[in-house]
Amino acid sequence: MHLRVASRTYYFNGRVISRKEAQKIQKSALVLFLLLCGVLACHRSTPTPSITFKYNVTPQPARVGEATIDVEIRDKANQPVSGAHVELEGNMSHPGMSPVSGVAREIESGNYRGTLQLTMAGDWIVLVNVTLSDGERLQYRFELNGVRSN
Amino acid sequence: MSTEENTFDLLRVPLIGRVLKWRHARTFFQVPLLLLGVLMILHGFLGPSLAPKNLATTLTWVHFRGALVLVLLVAGNFFCFACPFVLVRDVTRRFFRPVRNFPRYLRNKWLSAALLVAGLFVYELFDLWSSPWWTAALISSYFLAALIVDGFFKHASFCKFVCPIGQFNFVASTLSPLEVKVRDQAICTDCRTKDCIRGRRDPISPLVTIQRGCELALFQPRKTGNVDCTFCLDCIQACPHDNVGILARVPASELTVDPLRSGVGFLSRRKDLSALSMLFVFGALLNAFGMVSPVYALENWLARTLNVTHEAPVLAVLFVIALVIEPIVLLVIPVWLTRLSVSGSPMSVLVRYSYALVPLGFGIWLAHYSFHFLTGFLTFIPVLQSAASDVGLNVLGTPAWGLTGLAVGPVHAIEFGFIGLGLLGSLLVSYRLAEQDAPTKAVRVFLPWASLAAVISIAALWLLSQPMEMRGTILGG
Repeated sequence: MHLRVASRTYYFNGRVISRKEAQKIQKSALVLFLLLCGVLACHRSTPTPSITFKYNVTPQPARVGEATIDVEIRDKANQPVSGAHVELEGNMSHPGMSPVSGVAREIESGNYRGTLQLTMAGDWIVLVNVTLSDGERLQYRFELNGVRSN
Repeated sequence: MSTEENTFDLLRVPLIGRVLKWRHARTFFQVPLLLLGVLMILHGFLGPSLAPKNLATTLTWVHFRGALVLVLLVAGNFFCFACPFVLVRDVTRRFFRPVRNFPRYLRNKWLSAALLVAGLFVYELFDLWSSPWWTAALISSYFLAALIVDGFFKHASFCKFVCPIGQFNFVASTLSPLEVKVRDQAICTDCRTKDCIRGRRDPISPLVTIQRGCELALFQPRKTGNVDCTFCLDCIQACPHDNVGILARVPASELTVDPLRSGVGFLSRRKDLSALSMLFVFGALLNAFGMVSPVYALENWLARTLNVTHEAPVLAVLFVIALVIEPIVLLVIPVWLTRLSVSGSPMSVLVRYSYALVPLGFGIWLAHYSFHFLTGFLTFIPVLQSAASDVGLNVLGTPAWGLTGLAVGPVHAIEFGFIGLGLLGSLLVSYRLAEQDAPTKAVRVFLPWASLAAVISIAALWLLSQPMEMRGTILGG
């Protein structure tokens, strides 16, 4: 769409329009733009975490093959969170690869351990999908960069 | 000489020919790609931030690039034909017609070659493959750039002088088996209207164009090859004699001849095109180098040597080595040896023979991009299922994340095949050029260029046999 202003004559889509109509179109475009910015801004905001995660990957540095992932989950009061169902999912940073997955089992209160088969060298992103005993679902994400080839 | 009777013409193929000759054929193919582009942009900005789960990254870096080179290999520049950026530009031009010509000093390939380098650099620096947001921003900026350039300047200025993807396609399409070409030169000789370049005018109001001619200044009777041809088919629509077809030809044959080409000139005098071709060849090696393990060791070593912690200077050094120093070092000897048998300045020899490496460069691009395409071909299905599910459309079912593509083993064999094919093409082109320049010393002229092609091929094969590492992090990763 093109809005052209020349000597107080306003054109829209090739036809002459009134000044009021031109202002209305300009305002609509501005509102649309601000709305889009708002949607993008809201989308990128992150909520405050109520649960804290810590993770550890062995071996270090990680290599192609089996990687053991330990996840420690604690609540706001820093108490271990037990009885959660923890699933691991590894994705490469590049598209075109299928994800690898595994389940982490609770080895002691609030500590969960699982394995992922890292199929290729490079950068991985690990998603920890947690379902708490009360049914609440959480997702934690960390990067496992520089996985080396054997 | 008539070529109509004994040459394959895509426009004569039932159904396909009818579709392509339809007045709205281009729009028909552009609209789905435009919708797909909009979908990719939306998903890139608003969808999952994981690259393997986002349509923007998956379709751009796995499917688009692979399909692009494979279509160029088996047919022609049909991606420019269906370019959605041009559709948006065309719609905009219904309301706003530019009146300026593209600046004369920019009417060459230097700007687009620089943009291609910038594109490759940004791709590596910002790990575009791993970022849906940046990929969506890149697609959006492409739409915007086409709109701005062609909003200000007449004709297809963006396609001919700016678009880096277009330049890539122009160079690669010299290897395509199809070419938009005049069927019978005799008919053109008798033609008085030259609608293929001027456009078809309204018989009642001659100032009104009812079908535009070639926007890239390619006058069909004097057009040779695919350089600068976007396969827009405007000339086919405009020709009142139905004398333009999409004809079969020997791939790379246009690299072995050097006539005065309409809209292009002599290839042997185009330093900018030669530079673009060299960029095409050595950029292929560099781009493939970016995904294998040794690059990280080299980059870490460079970072320690330069005492820097940021990736940009390391990449800049790597780019200078790969795109400036390496070509100079490798090309000096063949140029010097060729001049022992062929007259001409070093630059003229370099420009003329640089095109002989284009087939090999295309082979490397094919090997690289087809790897991602073939090993990840089916990954668009779960991503699409997931995207549909995210917006509440569960009709596509649960995402089948296990779907990928061919196993790496067979794909490696295909990759090596492409390199071999490229090498063969380069050998044939360089021998043909040597034969023309020094009929009695053809082998002597040919051997240095054949050796150079062999060295580049070995480097490419070595690269492809290295363990692949999909990494964005370099320093300290």
